[in-house]
Amino acid sequence: MATEYKLRMGDGKRIFMTKEQIMADLKEGMADAADLGSIPDISADELDKLFDILTMPSRMVGVELGKEVPVTHDIGTLRIDGDQGNSGVGIPSSRLVGIMMHERAFGADTMELGHIDYSYKPAKPVIAQEMQTMEVVQQNTIVPMFYGAMPNMGLYYTPDGPFENPGDLMKAFKIEEARKSMEDSAKHLTRDIVWIMQRMMASGADGVNFDTVGAAGDGDMYASLHAIEALRKQYPDIYIESGMAGELMLGMHGEMEYDGVTLAGLWPHQQAPLAAKAGANVFGPVVNTNTSKSGAWNLGRAVTFIKQAVKDSPIPCHVNMGMGVGGIPMLETPTIDAVSRASKAMVEIAGVDGI
Amino acid sequence: MSKEEMFKELSDAVISCKKDTVTAAVEKAKGQGLEPAEIIEKGLATGMNEVGILFERGKLFLPHVMMAAGAMEAGVAILEADMPKDAAKKKLAVIVNGTVEGDVHDIGKSIVSTMLQSAGFEVHDIGRDVPLQDFIDKAKETSATMIGLSALMTTTMQGQKDVIEMLKEQGMRDNVKIMIGGAPATQAWADKIGADCYAENASEAVVKAKELLV
Repeated sequence: MATEYKLRMGDGKRIFMTKEQIMADLKEGMADAADLGSIPDISADELDKLFDILTMPSRMVGVELGKEVPVTHDIGTLRIDGDQGNSGVGIPSSRLVGIMMHERAFGADTMELGHIDYSYKPAKPVIAQEMQTMEVVQQNTIVPMFYGAMPNMGLYYTPDGPFENPGDLMKAFKIEEARKSMEDSAKHLTRDIVWIMQRMMASGADGVNFDTVGAAGDGDMYASLHAIEALRKQYPDIYIESGMAGELMLGMHGEMEYDGVTLAGLWPHQQAPLAAKAGANVFGPVVNTNTSKSGAWNLGRAVTFIKQAVKDSPIPCHVNMGMGVGGIPMLETPTIDAVSRASKAMVEIAGVDGI
Repeated sequence: MSKEEMFKELSDAVISCKKDTVTAAVEKAKGQGLEPAEIIEKGLATGMNEVGILFERGKLFLPHVMMAAGAMEAGVAILEADMPKDAAKKKLAVIVNGTVEGDVHDIGKSIVSTMLQSAGFEVHDIGRDVPLQDFIDKAKETSATMIGLSALMTTTMQGQKDVIEMLKEQGMRDNVKIMIGGAPATQAWADKIGADCYAENASEAVVKAKELLV
């Protein structure tokens, strides 16, 4: 009987696979990425290494000595206090305590202050609170401190915002009206992000984390790139991280461009140069986990996409690794066996600069 | 021009997403004596299927899907006079679609609604963060034969199970098929909660809906 190895499905379920099955899934996942992104396969040696990482007997693995990379933590501010409903551990603590724990106990190399709603728009009414907290945090920590939130352009559409919901307009065949709504929302979003960051910079922030850029499609990315551009212009030394929402830029508008490039349909390796062009210091590529496929399929696919993004990016790539991304299963608290293996693969095979 | 070449022209016209191109191709096909049913099924619908594939591959986008659907509708309208009464306007089936209560994610569900609508279903998209009973009430009101339940979070996917249980309690489970979707959903979850099908993406939703309803 062939030896079987313990792996996980994309939804976290424990599965057992033979070497042949793992290699077949690794190759199939790789081929899917190569086909969709029109990018090269990873090499046979890299596939073998992926197999080795997936089948290491230890419950938890780490990178080889000398290959350590910076690790940061979006919304880590709230991870201690929040319960399982928002992927936290439910220990009552302030945002300051959350940040200090990540800095001093968990070894995070940078941190960010984030609001519980974690979008830029809802930070506006509580900006004074955010400014005060940033000042206090900076007085108590050493690590570079971002202000972080999601652009989340969906909040500008009805019923949450002033512009008619493009989804509803689209279904009524009102294509041009839908596009206009997205264009108007994008202007507001850019303005709000810049307004908030002007105040956070006045309160001592070292930089800004754009978390889940493109979550509402190409208009969301358009607004974010313009906000990055404006912030770079106003604050030449600001540290800007631009992290994505998904692997493919959804074309909700379909014709929005940045620097002459149509945003709809961009894959991670095509997104990175635009983030750099806008003025970001770090690009955060994302590859989504398919919950119906094995960890081998997901990791083969994710590493193939990210390796190309690292290659084509003019700025460092800090890959998004967590619940449902980067080959990690979709669980509120992803298992350490899957997280550590996927992270090791991203560093040692895809060559990411950070996580 | 052979029939196959004409079907290809009709299909390509839909993929171009241009209404004028589609109506011109339909007039041409009519002039060549092709039957309305085959113009639609082997020409226009084939093009619409290809649009769905290009959408999933990130080559075409939501506005293009809607433009293609609009162009196809204009093409079908030309054929209406030559078809049995109401045959061209007949929808495949009625579907109620929404994101379950507590979950504000909208985009994926909207894309599924749009693709189902483009494929010929009558779709009632009741939005996101929808109270669970509203799915059942809307299905009753519209005589829907399928309810689509979307959830993007592990914390809200329980709502998919709850709707199925509520349908059983209200004696309606056998009247409607249940389709579930969203990032955390899987076939295993669908099996566990007794859903009729799980769709991984919008194109698959169309295929599964056709399998169950048409």
